[in-house]
Amino acid sequence: MTIAENLFENLRLELRRGCLTLAVLAQLRQEHYGYTLRKALAERGLAIDESTLYPLLRRLESQGLLASEWREEDKRNKRFYRLNSDGEQMLGQLLEEWNTLNASVIATVNSHSA
Amino acid sequence: MELLDRYLEAVQKHLPWKRQDDILAELRANLEAQLEDKEKELGRPLSREEAEAWLKQLGSPMQVAAPYLPQQYLIGPRIFPMYWFVLRTVFLWATIIYLIVSAALIYASGSVDGPAVAAAILRWPVVLMNAAAWVTLIFVAIEYAVTHAPEKLPGISGVTASWSPSDLPPVIVKPPSGTKPRSYIGAVAEAFFCLLGLVWLLLVPHFPFLLFGPGSYYLAASPFQLAPVWIVFYWWVAVLTAGQLIWHCVDLWTGSWQQPLLVKKTLLQAVGLIPLAVLLSAPGHLYVTLKHPAFDLEKYGATMYTINQSIHKGVLVLCVLVPVLLIVGMVKMAMDAYRGRLASAH
Repeated sequence: MTIAENLFENLRLELRRGCLTLAVLAQLRQEHYGYTLRKALAERGLAIDESTLYPLLRRLESQGLLASEWREEDKRNKRFYRLNSDGEQMLGQLLEEWNTLNASVIATVNSHSA
Repeated sequence: MELLDRYLEAVQKHLPWKRQDDILAELRANLEAQLEDKEKELGRPLSREEAEAWLKQLGSPMQVAAPYLPQQYLIGPRIFPMYWFVLRTVFLWATIIYLIVSAALIYASGSVDGPAVAAAILRWPVVLMNAAAWVTLIFVAIEYAVTHAPEKLPGISGVTASWSPSDLPPVIVKPPSGTKPRSYIGAVAEAFFCLLGLVWLLLVPHFPFLLFGPGSYYLAASPFQLAPVWIVFYWWVAVLTAGQLIWHCVDLWTGSWQQPLLVKKTLLQAVGLIPLAVLLSAPGHLYVTLKHPAFDLEKYGATMYTINQSIHKGVLVLCVLVPVLLIVGMVKMAMDAYRGRLASAH
């Protein structure tokens, strides 16, 4: 990987980090376990590594934004996650922030390209 | 699947001890579901090579386990700038103190020779490493305290919000080195005062009161006189002052007075070590002698010895301090030059 490619990769990861949290929170308005959540996000064009997504779920749960429970499905014990009421509130605030930020970035980019 | 079991067992070794069973069970469920999907897609179980490739793509066991661990630092980004500042300061002072102590010890041992100096130089990195180890240890403790009980260290700048811009030290106004031109009047004044200094120096042998004041009459009446080493010292100082004056005049003549050259200044400081070396090498450490040793040695010999020893110790201290200041100046000059080069490169 060249220096420029490496730099791009680092900046891309930095840019994605916050967006992924937002996408995970939004997707967990519906209950999922790790693997199905990963598939659902990938279907919407947001591919996430296992080593990123599964620890992120744990972190969001420890931050009090998700509720989880172990349940048997297809003869296998799985841990299901769902947004709790605090998580809903946080998601609302983050979406508001995201929309403002997105509009500002687009306006800035357009003003320079015009 | 044997490979998956081996993989998960390897991951387990790196997981946080308290939660490893829970994390591992979840990871197993997710990976088994993924494997099932893959096999359903292929219509057959994965071959060993395919399973290996899949697990390899997941990442090494340590890599997979790492994000589950809490983020830990020996010295974190909040504390690091302060650590770096303290470390540099401690290095500087450790070097200065070590130089002074080493010089004193070598002098006290009575064997000022090459091996003693070389041994002192070789011990220097060990002193720095010791200093660095202690500073690091202290900052590791601070990091731990700041992370686990931030309210216990409210005064640490950057950790809490209890600081005010008004408390910061005032800006020291200094011209950017090598860039700000001096005024012509300033350059002429420097040359003029250098000339005055040289004239004063040349008059001192004829009119000692210019140097000693009323003490010159006491010196004339006292049983002591200055040793010949002072004559060599005096002429070195006079020659260097004359050299400085010539340098000022050449600068004024060629117009190079506009850019103060740090190299010139440092070179002059370095050459200024010669008179000190002359004093240090005074034969028998004699700076003051008796006018009539045959008559006065018994009465004033002890006083003369004390005076000579005191002057020698003073010279020794100067011989340590002046090179240290010179080295500090040279390091600063090198850093300024490096910064200047970086700035021009960007």
